[in-house]
Amino acid sequence: MSAIPTYATERLACWDKAKELRQRYYQRYRDIKDKGGIRWAGGAWSLGAVPAGLGRDVACLTSEPYGASIAFDRAFSMKCMEAVERHGFARDLCSYMRNYWGSVLLDRYAFGGKFPKPDFLWQDHICCSHSKWYQVVSDLEGGIPYYCTDVAVGPAHEIDDNKIEYVVGQLLDGIEWMEKVTGRTYDDGLLAEACINEFQSTSTWAEICNLNKARPAPLDEKSMYSLYVHGTLEKHSREVADFYAELRDEVADRVARGVGAIEHERCRLISDTQPPWGFLKVFRYLEDFGALSIGSLYTFGLIGLWEDKPDGSWGPRTTPMAAGVDLGSREKVLRAYVEWNLHKPEWQHFYSPHLKSEMMLRICKEWNVDGVMLHYNRGCEGLSLGIAENRLALIEAGYPVLPFEGNMGDEREFDEARTMARMDSFMETLNLQRIG
Amino acid sequence: MITAGIDMGARTIKALVLRDGEPLGKSLVLAGFDTEASAKEALQAALADACVERSDVSRIVATGAGRDDAPDKDATLTDVGCAVRGAARLFPGVRTVIDVGAEEGRAIRCDEAGKVVDFAINEKCAAGSGAFTEAMARALEVPIEDLGALSLQSTKTIPMNAQCAVFAESEVVSMIHGNVAKPDMARAVHDAIASRIVSMARKVGYSAPVVLVGGVARNVGFVDSLRRGLEVEALSIPEEPEFCSALGAALAAAEGATGGAR
Amino acid sequence: MFERFKEVYAQRHDYARAWKERTGGKLLGFFCTYVPEEILYAADVLPVRILGSHEPQDVTEAHIFGMFCPFCRDCLAQGLKGRFDYLDGLMIAQSCLHIRQAYTSWEKHRPVEFSYYLNMPHKVKSPRAKKFLAGELAGFVRAVEEWTGKTITDEKLREGIEVMNRSRGLMRCFYDLRRADPPPVTGAEALAVVLSNQMSDKREHSDQLEQTIGKLEGRTPPEQAAGTRLLIVGSEDDDMQFFEMVERVGGTIVTDEHCTGTRYFWNQVELNGGSPLEAIAARYCDRPPCPTKDWEIRDRVEHILKLAREWECKGAIVIQQKFCDPHELDTPAIKKALEAAGVPVLLLEFDVTVPVGQFQIRVEAFLEMLEAEDLF
Repeated sequence: MSAIPTYATERLACWDKAKELRQRYYQRYRDIKDKGGIRWAGGAWSLGAVPAGLGRDVACLTSEPYGASIAFDRAFSMKCMEAVERHGFARDLCSYMRNYWGSVLLDRYAFGGKFPKPDFLWQDHICCSHSKWYQVVSDLEGGIPYYCTDVAVGPAHEIDDNKIEYVVGQLLDGIEWMEKVTGRTYDDGLLAEACINEFQSTSTWAEICNLNKARPAPLDEKSMYSLYVHGTLEKHSREVADFYAELRDEVADRVARGVGAIEHERCRLISDTQPPWGFLKVFRYLEDFGALSIGSLYTFGLIGLWEDKPDGSWGPRTTPMAAGVDLGSREKVLRAYVEWNLHKPEWQHFYSPHLKSEMMLRICKEWNVDGVMLHYNRGCEGLSLGIAENRLALIEAGYPVLPFEGNMGDEREFDEARTMARMDSFMETLNLQRIG
Repeated sequence: MITAGIDMGARTIKALVLRDGEPLGKSLVLAGFDTEASAKEALQAALADACVERSDVSRIVATGAGRDDAPDKDATLTDVGCAVRGAARLFPGVRTVIDVGAEEGRAIRCDEAGKVVDFAINEKCAAGSGAFTEAMARALEVPIEDLGALSLQSTKTIPMNAQCAVFAESEVVSMIHGNVAKPDMARAVHDAIASRIVSMARKVGYSAPVVLVGGVARNVGFVDSLRRGLEVEALSIPEEPEFCSALGAALAAAEGATGGAR
Repeated sequence: MFERFKEVYAQRHDYARAWKERTGGKLLGFFCTYVPEEILYAADVLPVRILGSHEPQDVTEAHIFGMFCPFCRDCLAQGLKGRFDYLDGLMIAQSCLHIRQAYTSWEKHRPVEFSYYLNMPHKVKSPRAKKFLAGELAGFVRAVEEWTGKTITDEKLREGIEVMNRSRGLMRCFYDLRRADPPPVTGAEALAVVLSNQMSDKREHSDQLEQTIGKLEGRTPPEQAAGTRLLIVGSEDDDMQFFEMVERVGGTIVTDEHCTGTRYFWNQVELNGGSPLEAIAARYCDRPPCPTKDWEIRDRVEHILKLAREWECKGAIVIQQKFCDPHELDTPAIKKALEAAGVPVLLLEFDVTVPVGQFQIRVEAFLEMLEAEDLF
């Protein structure tokens, strides 16, 4: 039997800051009206830099991370689910959405107090549920002004002016709409600032994920969930852009000193789709075998932006600022912003699962991955889209794959015992036994 | 060397004693509420059947859904690993193992050496387990042990929804009200379960020889439906299909398996 | 009177093969009613809609996760089983997520000569949508030209528009006849007409339908057309067995709002001086929307209430395809609106096969309830 490798491990220095940043975000959303500010709600992909042009006292509540936060609290989540079902909605709908609606129906904010009603809704639409989610929210809250931008214009390699103009046009219309609804005058300087922050934070996040190519991997996916979340909350803010820069420096330092995420890394896996939020222990369980998940297309590409580097590898996307793109007018900024977002890796599989398979295989190759765990997530039709074809492609390429069914946000649909049994079988297939 | 395997299934516990690769004794008990006690009972009965003492046994491996609860074991191994080991021992050269128990159905692909390459287990919303036949037998008011033979009397194929066990059950009720002959309904039920299993088998990719194990393999009606669904000449079925995993566990014990919980 | 329509629906593959042999033309299978068939007719290609066969199957689990709707899996099964192997082309217009998987898996594992994913916009109500779609259609036209080797002139486009418009006009006419009390046709007969419309050469279908409409003027309504007037609302629905059951037990389906029914043919292409492509784009943006495109406001609700009013429906059956998210998101609002307008609603969840016996009990109870309301 070959020797089990042993690496130094260390707690992340910026761990506490990560937690604090998240708490402050949710508190700010709740408390901003007391200071005369305004708040909006929408998806994590909502092109949130655009409402930032309304002022420095604008806070947002992004739906999916909020839904995930509720999922951590299984008792509260259960109440939300039941409230939504009593209201006549089906159980197989997006579980983030049901957690969110439940929170509204029960008038209980997951971060203390009553549910803070947004002044307007600003949403993006790419998965079927997105636009309808806030249609229902608007109804539930007695008619909140609602604007949604369609970004489903096709895969990145087919982008052309017609597509960019369609999305930019909607954003221009949206800005006029926001001015009417809020009574505020729009500030293009603030828009540019917010977009630049977003270019930075999303590119830096990709840098961080890129560092996980090292052996030992400096980060494990479970920890990454607590770090990527900021990109889903407010990637257009200076705080997040700065935090990611700080985090990147720390992770680069770990790589330089050979510090790993787990002590006995001997098997590198990737996962996919959102994890079952109420059962993240499945990731800790892997460590008993010397296995860890070093990330996924989901963690890397939900907010990270990537490109082909000159050496043929996948790396962080060059920002428009670094590429010398002219950001001197509202239209130009929006163009750059739209084009940037249309390259999002997690938007490609909406057009074909085979595009996602290619990216997953690329990650397996460049990050030296030994196997894949696929969460067949009943709670998200958007990210589980095409997952069966991804599995086929991975198997065809020779990677062992463990599919396991579950739900990111509805604990009734996750069978812990059965999933652990499957993981045991998978470890056997990989010839891994428990260490120590 | 004498080893033992104990399969802590959802419904029944099977124990098998092995000496130098040959089964020596075995037993099957219903899994009571106190599974530890039932496990002890099964092991004692198997030892008695084999005419050996506990001290004669060098190693015990436990498998099955309740394997971590087996009170007397040296290691555990999953159902997937044990079913394949048992099947490969009984039918060397096996490439596909289908294991249908009370609560779960599994399709496992292995290589020429009998090593697991890929596996699938029935997902939610699937009527691919023994519990479903039992529910159907009740609905049809036919003793479960007679259901298989009854279905072989039918020559009709009546499509039944095989996606959802609940939907399927209401279809049976409709058929009863529609005066469909019992043999035809029994066959429809078996075709439906087999269809779920075939679907899983296609997912992992299957090829002959196909071995069928697990308690449901005794149901001749299901066996016929499965053979037709897979479009294979024949299925290899051990004489006592419910003991295959216990055999596999005992073989793993002889190999010196050390995996699993303490 | 409706035998020919029923035959086309029941023997759709024989029909398609015969058409191909007769004309030597190309056949394209499509998913989703947002596919601009005008352009295909302009290129002398016959578009045929792909629907499922309502049989349980065991071939799609490896390709589509079971949480997605049974319909998309049923459609893919047809492709995997080679039932459509006469197709030269395959396409989809972007609408819901689930059906996309039928397209992307079919295209990979049973490749055809020509395949296309049209980026039909979702925000059809944005002032920017029509221009965007016209641009996407231009790209589609170029792709079809390359495939067929034909040039699609404005003249050919106008011809294609005429074929589609004529068909839609006749379908509207036919449905208008069902406003009569009692209607001259049963819902099952009408279903055969609307389904065969989607699977055959519309020129032939229109000729047939025109004749049939003529004959209907003098027809004594069949007995089953005199039942309680019902509206059917849903996603896709070609459950002939279900329609026949409803009409056997005393209901009559007089109109519908689903995508194998009125949503398919409701509005025309209006040639208002702009280019044919612009006119086509406008038609698809303005048509009664699929729930995936019905936002930020729900226009479907008004449209459904109008249908219920104008066809004097006593009750509505909402057919919810299992796992279909877009419809599940609309159904509570639709149910609420219909009930507020005095139209009771029966909600049924469908799979590829339906438990007819169980549904009959529910439908009978619903009809009793509707009739009882009349007495008080």
